[in-house]
Amino acid sequence: MSRYSGKVFLLVFSLGCLWLGPAILAQQSKVAATPSAASGLSPEQAITLAEQGRCRESISALKRAMSGQVPAQTRKKAGVAGLRCSLTLDDRDSAADFIRWLNKQFSHDPDILFVLVHAYSDLSTRTAQDLGRTAPQSIAAHKLNAEALEMQGKWEPAQLEYEGIIEKEPNTPGIHFLLGRLLLSRPDAGPDAGERAKQEFLKELEIDPKNAGAQYVLGELARQADKCDEAIPRFSQAAKLDSNFAEAYLGWGTCLVVLSHYEEAIPPLERAVRMQQGNPAAHYNLAVALSRTGRKEAAEKEFAIQRELTKNSPPDEPKKE
Amino acid sequence: MQKMLNVTSTLYLTRRKLLKVLAACAATGACPQITAALPQSEFPFEVVPASASGISWVHVSGKSPEKYLPESSGAGCALFDYDNDGWMDIYLVNSGKCDFYTPDLPLRNALYRNNRDGTFTDVTQKAGVAAGGFGQGVAVGDYDRDGFPDLYVTQYGRSILFHNNGDGTFSDVTEKAGVAAPGWASSAVWFDYDNDGLLDLFVCQFVDFSKEKNKPCGIHEDGKRHYCIPKIYRPMPSWLFHNNGDGTFTDVSKTSGIASHLGKAWGVVATDINNDGWMDLFVSNDTVPNFLFVNNGKGKFIENGTEAGVAYSANGKPRSGMGLDSADFNEDGWQDLFVANLDREDFAIYRNNRDGTFDDLAIPTGIAKATRAMSGWGLKFFDYDNDGDLDLLLANGNPDDLIKALHGESAYEEPLLLFNGTGKSFEDVSARSGPLFTTMMSSRGLAIGDFDNDGAVDVLISVNNGAPLLLRNNAGKHNHWLGIRLVGKKCNPDAVGAKVSYQAGDLKRSRMKVGGGSYLSSHDPRIVLGLGNRDKVDWVEVKWPLPGGGTQRFGNPPVDRYITIIEGEDKWK
Repeated sequence: MSRYSGKVFLLVFSLGCLWLGPAILAQQSKVAATPSAASGLSPEQAITLAEQGRCRESISALKRAMSGQVPAQTRKKAGVAGLRCSLTLDDRDSAADFIRWLNKQFSHDPDILFVLVHAYSDLSTRTAQDLGRTAPQSIAAHKLNAEALEMQGKWEPAQLEYEGIIEKEPNTPGIHFLLGRLLLSRPDAGPDAGERAKQEFLKELEIDPKNAGAQYVLGELARQADKCDEAIPRFSQAAKLDSNFAEAYLGWGTCLVVLSHYEEAIPPLERAVRMQQGNPAAHYNLAVALSRTGRKEAAEKEFAIQRELTKNSPPDEPKKE
Repeated sequence: MQKMLNVTSTLYLTRRKLLKVLAACAATGACPQITAALPQSEFPFEVVPASASGISWVHVSGKSPEKYLPESSGAGCALFDYDNDGWMDIYLVNSGKCDFYTPDLPLRNALYRNNRDGTFTDVTQKAGVAAGGFGQGVAVGDYDRDGFPDLYVTQYGRSILFHNNGDGTFSDVTEKAGVAAPGWASSAVWFDYDNDGLLDLFVCQFVDFSKEKNKPCGIHEDGKRHYCIPKIYRPMPSWLFHNNGDGTFTDVSKTSGIASHLGKAWGVVATDINNDGWMDLFVSNDTVPNFLFVNNGKGKFIENGTEAGVAYSANGKPRSGMGLDSADFNEDGWQDLFVANLDREDFAIYRNNRDGTFDDLAIPTGIAKATRAMSGWGLKFFDYDNDGDLDLLLANGNPDDLIKALHGESAYEEPLLLFNGTGKSFEDVSARSGPLFTTMMSSRGLAIGDFDNDGAVDVLISVNNGAPLLLRNNAGKHNHWLGIRLVGKKCNPDAVGAKVSYQAGDLKRSRMKVGGGSYLSSHDPRIVLGLGNRDKVDWVEVKWPLPGGGTQRFGNPPVDRYITIIEGEDKWK
């Protein structure tokens, strides 16, 4: 489940400030957009102008500073100033240029990484605002809003958003999946949440039979309900739909091991190991399958990797950290 | 068991629903008498109150704001016959003075003599077994072959060997014997690893801990200090002491290979997983992989837990192994294994595949589902209803007294669980087994034994920071049974490792007498063979452990009573 929820998490994280007003970075640069012929500015002069809020006058020179023979410290200052000015001017092309330069030239500098986090967040917020402005009643806007609400733990309004979309456009792909996922995440969803979520994933598959995530989550729900025989076709279908879906291969192989189908378990587990070399569960289950089919040497190799991986990792389920 | 099924419909509520209803009742004070609809005697176990048993002793954990880990782990208990009068006596272990704890009043362990009428008398002072250190567990065995069971009391700090003098008193012979095991000892087991006929001693060591090493961890999101997860403490080697036969022991931890493996051991059971006649050891470890020490018959143990499939969870990560046991639950002639873990880890029941490997059947047996929210300590396979199939009783409780604040689905105090065996699998019968199985407790040790000699195996449970629980078995008396005390002559005197087979009409079963099992506790050495409604036993066969190793068969033994079988003697007593 982590793969799909992970993507959504990143998206929603970037939307943390959705609808919340002007971005932080832009606020840090006082707006004074007086146009001036400033093509001959030195990098230092351009930085000074930018710090005074004279962004329009300085931005070209700041761009030149990033690509010219300029000392690193000056380039860094110019890049940050340029990025702030771009955001102040809502010049997203220039912002993207500064981000690319800073990323390339100062990729290990914590100060720069900090600035970039805010820049991405700011751009994300602006794009979300664009969506809200241009198509406030669109499915995309409601979906985005629901995801942001979910991220803030506002489960009830988030659920209402998803349900609203379904009412309006019952066959929109992806919404039943998101609603099912919300039901599994929502701490107060009630004792039948699992079953309700399952129904949502099944509906999703009726609309979009190629939704690998829905297949996978149905497999995981079955596995957690101790029904590996039901889980296996779900996992294998998810893997078929998305050949890079490591968790699906792992779930598939693990369930085959649970059912003592060791020989069959080896191919999906080998795929899982190739895709997730740092995952002890994949190595362990592959080792068990290899061991039980007489391939002791290969099994021992996998056990050794698994032991190494678990040496310093937390126990299966952290309990009291 | 059928009789117990015919109860009010409320008992058919699922276990979770029943607990919820009870919790709601408690909160509102408007409780219908759900489980009180039937007298306790209709349920398989009933609590013998202290007022009836005379057991007034209470465990004191020494809880402190500093949350020293040993406060959460104790303590153990034993059912054993210290005066050889044929009636099981009781030993209970307490906390006591140590580097991090000075009790307001001196604490002591307790020995209660069975008065043969359902009551017990505290004879601790006379017997000289009060101990007084920070106690953890107890292991019983006749190490000197004098016919009287001796006591090994494990402690945080230094453990104690009490030699039974045979006159109602014991002597502390720890120093002479050389078995002090300085450190944090938890469970221990007497067994004969080298088949020389003398009981050797394995002692689990938990982690490298002292007052100075207590870590300031455990400030959680709720702002409170919790007991630390043992992962942060260094693992330690356990001890193996070889019995020299002269009252002394040699520490063979290194030469036997035991000390090569650092663990965080809570539980141990001595069993023979490969039927080679050499006793192996299954050791549960907390946050590191469990050990399966396979005895090579040449004084060495090969640790094979990973390859055997009993070291890790299905996710390839170590769990928090605590209580454990071994028995042939599926009656295929091979010893299976069970280990309890922490909440949200699922307990494991490992079927022996007869090739050195095991498969965890926790999911198909329903054990996983029933134990998902539980943390398990004392546990034992035994045939509580004497129907001929091994059942399973589990004592539970989370080590973190503030767990509820972190995980709403978990609780510090947890109910017991009872699984009825079918000879192949198990059925969770806790929800219909009476109020005892909805009573929340902080259980730790669990010892089984027939204290009233009625053939129905009773249970003693030690409770962290509370009074012990003596449970009378009401289920076993509805079926026929045969109780056997084995006395080894050539083999070890307690006959640990003996295999008893029997046939009663269509019922053919066998039981191995394992060493230890459960958690910090020691059990009635007698084996009770359940017969169901069969009132005749065709034969009983005993395969004695090496070095004797002989097999004796006894035709038409009596039923519904205890007999003694002495190795090499043609007739039972």
